[in-house]
Amino acid sequence: MSCNPSFGGIGKGHLMREVDALDGLCSRICDQSGVHYKVLNRRKGPAVWGLRAQIDRKLYKQNMQKEILNTPLLTVQEGAVEDLILTEPEPEHTGKCRVSGVVLVDGSTVYAESVILTTGTFLRGMIVIGLETHPAGRLGDQPSIGLAQTLEKLGFVVGRLKTGTPPRIAKESINFSILNKHIPDNPSIPFSFTNETVWIKPEDQLPCYLTHTNPRVDEIVLKNLHLNSHVKETTRGPRYCPSIESKVLRFPNRLHQVWLEPEGMDSDLIYPQGLSMTLPAELQEKMITCIRGLEKAKVIQPGYGVQYDYLDPRQITPSLETHLVQRLFFAGQINGTTGYEEAAAQGVIAGINASLRVSRKPPFVVSRTEGYIGVLIDDLTTLGTSEPYRMFTSRVEFRLSLRPDNADSRLTLRGYKDAGCVSQQRYERACWMKSSLEEGISVLKSIEFLSSKWKKLIPEASISTSRSLPVRALDVLKYEEVDMDSLAKAVPEPLKKYTKCRELAERLKIEATYESVLFHQLQEIKGVQQDEALQLPKDLDYLTIRDVSLSHEVREKLHFSRPQTIGAASRIPGVTPAAIINLLRFVKTTQRRQSAMNESSKTDQYLCDADRLQEREL
Amino acid sequence: MWRGLWTLAAQAARGPRRLCTRRSSGAPAPGSGATIFALSSGQGRCGIAVIRTSGPASGHALRILTAPRDLPLARHASLRLLSDPRSGEPLDRALVLWFPGPQSFTGEDCVEFHVHGGPAVVSGVLQALGSVPGLRPAEAGEFTRRAFANGKLNLTEVEGLADLIHAETEAQRRQALRQLDGELGHLCRGWAETLTKALAHVEAYIDFGEDDNLEEGVLEQGRKPVSIVSPEPGTTRDVLETPVDLAGFPVLLSDTAGLREGVGPVEQEGVRRARERLEQADLILAMLDASDLASPSSCNFLATVVASVGAQSPSDSSQRLLLVLNKSDLLSPEGPGPGPDLPPHLLLSCLTGEGLDGLLEALRKELAAVCGDPSTDPPLLTRARHQHHLQGCLDALGHYKQSKDLALAAEALRVARGHLTRLTGGGGTEEILDIIFQDFCVGK
Repeated sequence: MSCNPSFGGIGKGHLMREVDALDGLCSRICDQSGVHYKVLNRRKGPAVWGLRAQIDRKLYKQNMQKEILNTPLLTVQEGAVEDLILTEPEPEHTGKCRVSGVVLVDGSTVYAESVILTTGTFLRGMIVIGLETHPAGRLGDQPSIGLAQTLEKLGFVVGRLKTGTPPRIAKESINFSILNKHIPDNPSIPFSFTNETVWIKPEDQLPCYLTHTNPRVDEIVLKNLHLNSHVKETTRGPRYCPSIESKVLRFPNRLHQVWLEPEGMDSDLIYPQGLSMTLPAELQEKMITCIRGLEKAKVIQPGYGVQYDYLDPRQITPSLETHLVQRLFFAGQINGTTGYEEAAAQGVIAGINASLRVSRKPPFVVSRTEGYIGVLIDDLTTLGTSEPYRMFTSRVEFRLSLRPDNADSRLTLRGYKDAGCVSQQRYERACWMKSSLEEGISVLKSIEFLSSKWKKLIPEASISTSRSLPVRALDVLKYEEVDMDSLAKAVPEPLKKYTKCRELAERLKIEATYESVLFHQLQEIKGVQQDEALQLPKDLDYLTIRDVSLSHEVREKLHFSRPQTIGAASRIPGVTPAAIINLLRFVKTTQRRQSAMNESSKTDQYLCDADRLQEREL
Repeated sequence: MWRGLWTLAAQAARGPRRLCTRRSSGAPAPGSGATIFALSSGQGRCGIAVIRTSGPASGHALRILTAPRDLPLARHASLRLLSDPRSGEPLDRALVLWFPGPQSFTGEDCVEFHVHGGPAVVSGVLQALGSVPGLRPAEAGEFTRRAFANGKLNLTEVEGLADLIHAETEAQRRQALRQLDGELGHLCRGWAETLTKALAHVEAYIDFGEDDNLEEGVLEQGRKPVSIVSPEPGTTRDVLETPVDLAGFPVLLSDTAGLREGVGPVEQEGVRRARERLEQADLILAMLDASDLASPSSCNFLATVVASVGAQSPSDSSQRLLLVLNKSDLLSPEGPGPGPDLPPHLLLSCLTGEGLDGLLEALRKELAAVCGDPSTDPPLLTRARHQHHLQGCLDALGHYKQSKDLALAAEALRVARGHLTRLTGGGGTEEILDIIFQDFCVGK
């Protein structure tokens, strides 16, 4: 954790649940290290709840290291990577060479069957404070220059992004007594499906405090723009995590929120969320002391900006392997994203696929219809990005289906069967939950009474009695004021047993809330999945292929992004419906040729059946 | 009509374009489980028109339109009274055929309605189908594509499909432009903008509301403008346009100003509009004075308009042009003709009527080429499509108002916007994010 001492948030919380559903580590480690849990968007519907927590930086590091160092069969070696070891490509895959290891800065080599690069802000990283710049991946760490050159020489298209971090303030120098205090949720909602509670009890957790900027802050920013080179640079920074300077410039004469967040249980530092800045160090303290509650604040470490290289993510496949170099995978900021959760989401997918690739198994790809992870990776690999990419719920077409509560039903089962990345215990729990939910829903559907009877059974519900049709228990559960407990009180048999597990009861309520809409969404999902089931050959040379009639422009776009399915191809801007039909035809011809080679006797009927079979599986 | 330019816009109203953009929420995806319908017989006045549906709700639709009768025997023609399910009003006595999948053209459940070919009947049945839940007008080439996806067409049969869809999308582009030029277009675009903005505010409230200092009033701002949407589409027609029946084809005839340079501001506006129509027309009837071909404006006209349409390869554009030279009576009968370097043209004398039959025959051929393809959407479908999407939008806004759960409310708004952007284009997520970042200072 090199920036904010927190995980999750709106959209990001969804990623945390999905990473956990695939048995990724960060959610579990967070639950051992969280010091302030809060679900955002509580009032806005469970599909958009944002699980979030302040995390103790030191505890997280300790717990994570303990977990990693105790992982069986894992060797950990620390050292800066300077170069890649490249060999002849495998003929059955695309790519001009294959990676077979890395060279460390001391000249030693580490050989590997596959390599994942997660360079963060280190690729030609440059730190900016005021007018000073110096090469560094983060304060106090050397940047990665040699590796950046290697990647550029290999032919990767490189771009530049920027981000920033706020100054850290001494805790005892802040006057919290005059500030707005925010206490954590009680009970805490853990990130991990495997945890029922978190390690640090809600009553032992730490508060956050809220303060605001004022016109004097604006004044200092505006007066000193000439001393602030980071703000003027053309490199793209995030629009949604802007520095205080860009907030002042874009939205003048406003008060901006500053959250004062603890860095840990026994940390002396406070992280002022919202005050990312690149002013010269002495001006940073001057500005901070203008803010209410921070009048006597001591800056322990100044805020700074970082500019770094990223590689156009259209150069990687949805399994995060690069098109150019076989068995080389990228994850995190190297692909143009920002945020721990986005990085973790890619990390777990890259890790799974690096391993599957070595054991010559098919890649594990999450579709847009299955998870936020799928949306994230599909957006990156088909559309690319020109600013640091952050997850939002508004990016997700099927938001009502892809919820934090059901990430396990969506991903754990697949992770267990297709990727082998899920523990037996987690798999069994997910299976039990899934079948209990299905059973519960069908029971709720089967219980029907007239609305007048429901009204008598649950008087607190605003059930309309104007219609004399029978109403299902599932429909009654849709009312805001009804939950499984009140329903089970009304109809103890057979509903009581579904209230014994709190998570199950809550999830049944959520399923009921979205039931009617989910039916329609399922139809759309089916359509998208049909297109995604149609694979484009990986080795297709779009620039020269003759059998497909495509315009030059479309060829170039397809050549660069190399979509793996018809669905992905149709999302690339500029690829026309006619081009899609031509590709579709090509796919069918290829399939036919393959099946003819495999089994010459089976013809049309076979293809036809296979299609229908596919459909049923979806 | 001296050197006037007539554009014949065949009223082959194929619905608005389907842009190949990221699929916005609420816009049904082709090939999805939705049930589609379209007029699948040819254009123009004909004895019988065939309307086809494909998809899981086909049987349901058939039952609803023929209530209270049961499904007819599979693959047997049966006579049924069709009525509008909303009003109960009888529409037509028609032959209906029920093809349960997979033994059907598309491999899905299909229904064919063989109705009497009058526009009112066809339009009535299409609108009735549009009102059945789960049904929507088919996209360009969607029947064929479904058939293909279900292994019902072999590869040679599908050879021409991409070309067809290319031509259809091109025609749809012009169609959409034409429709969107009028008041209806302005109205729809206005609504779509309002909805996009409203959605952006709701999305901002969801994605940033609690993390950031978004005012509580944001949602109210989102809710207010939505209520101005009304179900009445309004039917506006450019004053220069007249629908005519030409050789059995319903045609929209646009009479535009002559293309002249260096005239006053009013006429310049007329010329600008003429050029706009020129861009949107399916068939251009370019008329020149046969006795004045050497004049600079005639040469200019030939060099720019006639040559540019002629130069397009047939696959690039389905736009057609007929060059007509009027006042053939002024040419000396034994003279050499209008000029040796002219592209193919027709001679006409509006004064004597000479050449009129030839012109009509040429028009008929061109129109047949433009409209004759049975897989293109019929003219009347445009109205069915408008109604379908506007009604869909309205229904979704109703859900929006009722929703207590904000995620559900936003979903309803997404669906509503999806319907409108199907008529107006656009509708991507980036558009929403752009508004969010422009309107709000979000981020920590």
